[in-house]
Amino acid sequence: MKAFARRMVGIDRRVIFLLIAAAILLPMLKPFGLPIKVSPEVKAVYDYIEALPERSVFLLSFDFDPSSKPELEPQAVALLRHAFRKNLRVIGMTHWLTGTGLADGVFSQVAAETGRERGKDYVFLGWSPGGSALIISMGQDLYQAFPSDYTKTPTRGMPVLEGVRNLRDVNYMVSLAAGGAGIEMWYVFGKDKYRFEMAGGSTGVIAPGLYPFLRSGQINGLIGGLQGAAEYETLIKRKGTATAGMDAQSAAHFVIIVLVILCNVFYFILRGEKGSPR
Amino acid sequence: MPEAMLPPETILGAWVAAGLTLFIYSFLYKDNPLFKLSEHLYVGISVGYSVVLAWHTVFLRLLWEPLKKSIGEAPASPDSYVLLIPAALGLFMLTRFIPQVSWLSRIAFAFVVGFGSGVAIPRTISSYILKQIEDTVNPLVPAAGGGFSAFMDFALPQSGVNTVILLIGVVSVLFYFFFSVEHTGAGMVTARTGIYFLMIAFGAAFGYTVMSRISLLIGRFRDLITFSGAAYSYATLVLLAVTVLSLVGWEVVVRRQNGERTRE
Repeated sequence: MKAFARRMVGIDRRVIFLLIAAAILLPMLKPFGLPIKVSPEVKAVYDYIEALPERSVFLLSFDFDPSSKPELEPQAVALLRHAFRKNLRVIGMTHWLTGTGLADGVFSQVAAETGRERGKDYVFLGWSPGGSALIISMGQDLYQAFPSDYTKTPTRGMPVLEGVRNLRDVNYMVSLAAGGAGIEMWYVFGKDKYRFEMAGGSTGVIAPGLYPFLRSGQINGLIGGLQGAAEYETLIKRKGTATAGMDAQSAAHFVIIVLVILCNVFYFILRGEKGSPR
Repeated sequence: MPEAMLPPETILGAWVAAGLTLFIYSFLYKDNPLFKLSEHLYVGISVGYSVVLAWHTVFLRLLWEPLKKSIGEAPASPDSYVLLIPAALGLFMLTRFIPQVSWLSRIAFAFVVGFGSGVAIPRTISSYILKQIEDTVNPLVPAAGGGFSAFMDFALPQSGVNTVILLIGVVSVLFYFFFSVEHTGAGMVTARTGIYFLMIAFGAAFGYTVMSRISLLIGRFRDLITFSGAAYSYATLVLLAVTVLSLVGWEVVVRRQNGERTRE
């Protein structure tokens, strides 16, 4: 037994990589359709959008870049599908310079799929420097902060922005964030000052740090990682890439848990041996 | 029915994406030239993309075009030249590279630090400290008269049980980092409780991190599976073969060179 445990503890790490790869690939090729349970924090975002009247102003900030695409793009697609289905006016923007092209691509794709028109039903403002200062500037005068949109069309006079002067005219806002320049910044410099309701969508890495904001009501909902995106897809009854990835996610987690348990068992078997881990 | 042909640029994009993904993952075998090539490409392209976008968005859209327009419309008005002030401050930043005039950069930095602190401090205190303290000391008996909600509903943030757990967690963790008093007796119990709370928090954070990384892997695998179809000219399969063969070839060359060195 000890010899086996010793061999296992010294196993080539590449075997573990292969195990994880297999655990992800197999369910992707042959899904087994595990059920997806919707959490209250994701439901809160859905319910708020669902309750908005038609032509309300919905601001979606793409605060991520391609390195977080697999987690946050499905969230963006699901939110946009929901917003367009509800006939909301959508304003898009990004605080991440390298995410500009990606965000515009998502807007164009979902708008084409739902038959929405740029300038009339939605506008993508693109990126502008400043971070927190940009949010304050948008809170004072949206047209000063973004004189033109991503396609260089002047923002003043756009039908989609009719009646919108600044952030106070935004009915709901969601920041899809992969780091500091995102949900927290929007809350601190936007919602807290200009009084609009907001929620967050985040990568799994930063989600635990955002729960205190959710608990205190500083954000009214939170979509966390690919799991959160899959929950949102379940709510809008439109399965997408997040739902498709959930089986693989569960299988990989199962493999990791089994490996952690086995490592602990081997550790206890070898404990006390000379040169063994302590 | 035959599938619609994809545009050549989409197919080319798929080949580049699949190739670079496989090259990056080849690092899981060991550090190799394919990984280095894609790593350098990634850094170079990211910087190039950022510079071009910043030039168009910041310099042209926010400075050059409005300045040209305002001077063209009212050349005699001093207001037309107001954008030259931030432009000058931006140029002052660059004087860091010229020692003789680098003192000018202090003006720009003073502006940035002064503005940044003035804007950030009150908002940060309000959002991160006051609001969070307010939430930490939630009343156990709500003012509405609903009574002590001691039911074990962990999903409801405002339940009495959660409020008590939160209060114990905050106090014990703060006490753990309070080093002026020796952690003995009741102090040790409190500090230990703080450690348990910290460990649970780290565990939750680590669990979420693992979930996040696996999600990224799923995203890349999804693209690789998509690009392995006939519509993309079997990009993934062809490039996987190229990657494996290149690694084998590289390994053979490296081993031969090492063997020659040993003989010498």
